Amino acid sequence: MFFDVLFVGIMVGAIYTLVTIGYSMVYSILKLMNFAHGDVYMFGTFICYTLLAKYNMNPILAIIIAAALGGLLASLVEIVAYRRLRAEQHRMISMITALGAAYVIQNSNELKWGNQVLPFPSILSTEALHVFGLNIPLTQIITLGIAVGLIVLFTLFLKYHSYGKAILCVSEDIPTASLMGIPINKTITMVYFIGGMLGVIGGILYSSSYNAVSLAMGFRGTIIAFTAAVIGGIGSLSGALIGGMIMGICENFIGVYVSSAYRDPITFLLLIIILLVKPTGIMGVVEQSKV
Amino acid sequence: MKNTIIEQKKPFNDLKNTKFKSVLSLAKNKKGLFVLLTLVCILLPNMMTNMYYLGIINYMILYSILCMGLNLILGYAGLLSLGHAAFYGLGGYATAILITRYGFGFLPAMIISGIIALLFGMLLGLPTRKVRGDYFCLLTIAFGEIFRLVAQAWIGFTNGAMGIVGIPIPNILGWSIRTEVDFYYLGLMLLAFTYFTLSLLVHSRFGRAFIAIREDELAASVMGINTAVYKIIVFGIGCFYAGLAGSYLAVYQTTITPSNFRLEESCLMIIMVIVGGMGSLLAPIAGVIVMTLATEYFRGIAEYRMLIIGVIMVVVLLFRPQGIFGTSAFKG
Amino acid sequence: MSLLTASKIGKNFGGVVALNNVSLTVEKGEIVGMIGPNGSGKTTFINNLSGIYSPTAGNFIFNDEDITGFEAHVITGKGISRTFQNLRVFPNISVLENILIGLHCKIDISLWDVYLRFLKTRKIEARAREKAMKVLAIANLTDSHDTLAKNLPYGKQRLLEICRAIVSDPYLLLLDEPCAGMNPVEMDDLADFIKILQKRGITVFVIEHNMRFIMSVAERIIVLANGLKFAEGTPTQIQNDKKVQAIYLGDEGDL
Repeated sequence: MFFDVLFVGIMVGAIYTLVTIGYSMVYSILKLMNFAHGDVYMFGTFICYTLLAKYNMNPILAIIIAAALGGLLASLVEIVAYRRLRAEQHRMISMITALGAAYVIQNSNELKWGNQVLPFPSILSTEALHVFGLNIPLTQIITLGIAVGLIVLFTLFLKYHSYGKAILCVSEDIPTASLMGIPINKTITMVYFIGGMLGVIGGILYSSSYNAVSLAMGFRGTIIAFTAAVIGGIGSLSGALIGGMIMGICENFIGVYVSSAYRDPITFLLLIIILLVKPTGIMGVVEQSKV
Repeated sequence: MKNTIIEQKKPFNDLKNTKFKSVLSLAKNKKGLFVLLTLVCILLPNMMTNMYYLGIINYMILYSILCMGLNLILGYAGLLSLGHAAFYGLGGYATAILITRYGFGFLPAMIISGIIALLFGMLLGLPTRKVRGDYFCLLTIAFGEIFRLVAQAWIGFTNGAMGIVGIPIPNILGWSIRTEVDFYYLGLMLLAFTYFTLSLLVHSRFGRAFIAIREDELAASVMGINTAVYKIIVFGIGCFYAGLAGSYLAVYQTTITPSNFRLEESCLMIIMVIVGGMGSLLAPIAGVIVMTLATEYFRGIAEYRMLIIGVIMVVVLLFRPQGIFGTSAFKG
Repeated sequence: MSLLTASKIGKNFGGVVALNNVSLTVEKGEIVGMIGPNGSGKTTFINNLSGIYSPTAGNFIFNDEDITGFEAHVITGKGISRTFQNLRVFPNISVLENILIGLHCKIDISLWDVYLRFLKTRKIEARAREKAMKVLAIANLTDSHDTLAKNLPYGKQRLLEICRAIVSDPYLLLLDEPCAGMNPVEMDDLADFIKILQKRGITVFVIEHNMRFIMSVAERIIVLANGLKFAEGTPTQIQNDKKVQAIYLGDEGDL
């Protein structure tokens, strides 16, 4: 029983990591709390739902299209709503703008898909694998595999691909990166696009595992993303991983051993505790600002 | 070298740097305008035929009280609190429970509700020293959500998602407040109280201290301002008014439920303050009026409500972040 | 008894040693200058003294009281005011309001007074405004009292910042590179202004790069280099000190 819960926790943790990466990247580069993150990737997840449930599309094709559309929406939000405010002194203003964008997208999602829970079809088979005397559903293993695979791919991308390195430069220092000839706007748009894509895939994997998709997952996803990002430390990939894992595992254990009703309050409590104790997170570095 | 003695700042002076001054200067006599406005406010219900519209005005008064308190925190001290609705709800629940379960009269219940909200508000002000800027905003969201979730879960005390119903008609010193008109006058008195007490605060060294904190916290502390303490004070006072408003809501609606203080409500208040203009005492009222009229106008299409609010938020912040009457502090 | 005694002040930031064993005194009524190349620790010294940072070693005795490690607002209350290298006036409020904030400690009004004792509050506020206007008059800023601070020309903003610091009648005024961005005429005006402040009984401690300014204003100069106190003496002594000249070689400061 314990290992079942643990394994689910790890799988969910990997999914949360996918969702958190996009959020964490954006915050670390632009210091913007992208409140719209969750709702944006919910859009992608909903699209996938429609493609699968209504059009019976091939799952892989559906995922690719949904992820691309999610990424596009994320970039669109950046270009329309956030770009102008990048130079803004009062970060409060961009934060509230993000909130506004979140509402627009959430409401649009609601208009199209309603606010009831919809049955998301399982993408993967429901067989179970017998390993080490445990019954682990195949879908969990594959989901974990996909999530981890993507995380690894993305890490490699950041390290070795020229666009990835560009992103790292931009996250260090925008003026310097621009002096190096890196196209800042394009790079930032790419960050949003990739973050949105990863988020959508995370959302799809989640909905597929739980066979449910609903509007409320959007806001919840945003909260999870920033709690995980804060716990692990904003701006570091390993931070997103650690934060996501901690969230996934804790949530599952609490959900099973305590009560599923307390799952959300405890997430918030976790957030508050971390903010009070070490706001920079586990992997984060405390910045000393020069006076 | 001139030895000029500066006249005492009149209540309208804090709108100096905004368009309101040009509007006001049209009125030859500031005092005359003030008297006129007061007369209009007092006689308003007599001029109304449709009580539905008076109901809308009552909501506008309610939100004005909320937003003026929030403006103190956000506009004057520059602290983004996305949990203001929690104190609104706290006030409402406090009044509801005190009246229905312990037989308190309305006036004492309202005062106690305000104080409870004040105390919890101060609690929110405590972590500002350790938790900075953006992270603090997250904290306020978490704070607000936990209140709501606790209210939902603690069925024994708050009756859970059903909320508290059947709050009786309030009675202040013999005056039974039961009609729209009655509530109008009650609201108006609360609003006047809010305005005058805030005005006193804002024109004192405390108000200046809050502004200093907003402008440059480090420099403020070097001016001798204990920023940690002042942030606690500003939260306490700002949330006090939210508690009063919640108290009003409880008796106006005769029910209080957790859905009264969702994050959505906090965001609505924030956007009202922003649209009206931050940092200027009466400016939030403009924001309340604009947003209420907008949501009323679109009432037929209620399901587009958040969409419209969201669009307004984004548009205002992109193109006129200082709102209608706000100080230049927030100009883009 | 010296007004201020700094004993063996040390400050580390992580592994970086910004200040090392710096000791100095400031006597009442003096104008003391501190010079040194970029990064020598001058601003760090003032930041530690004014309470923005806490020294990792050593202590500050001010008016016979150990103020080491006190918070900034407490130290201001003890009578030490300062200005900032990168100019920190409150931009979006008027000149007069900036000065009034400088008087914050001296306006003895509690929350109780604000709400319940109108007459007392009104009287004290009026007196505060008079005081503020007097200070503005000394600096010739009376006409701009209503202007938003950010709309003032740069030189006047600097003057405003100093006015804001002195309105509370501090014992000791710390000036952090007050000449930055000024032209020679403004600098001379500032030098005169500082001498006026001295006549009014304010002890002044100035950090500056600009040698000409420091030589014309300071009675005693302390040289900081690499976080260490390098030399100390009268302007003439420092000017002729070969070692001091050497540490400035290759640096931007004009000799």
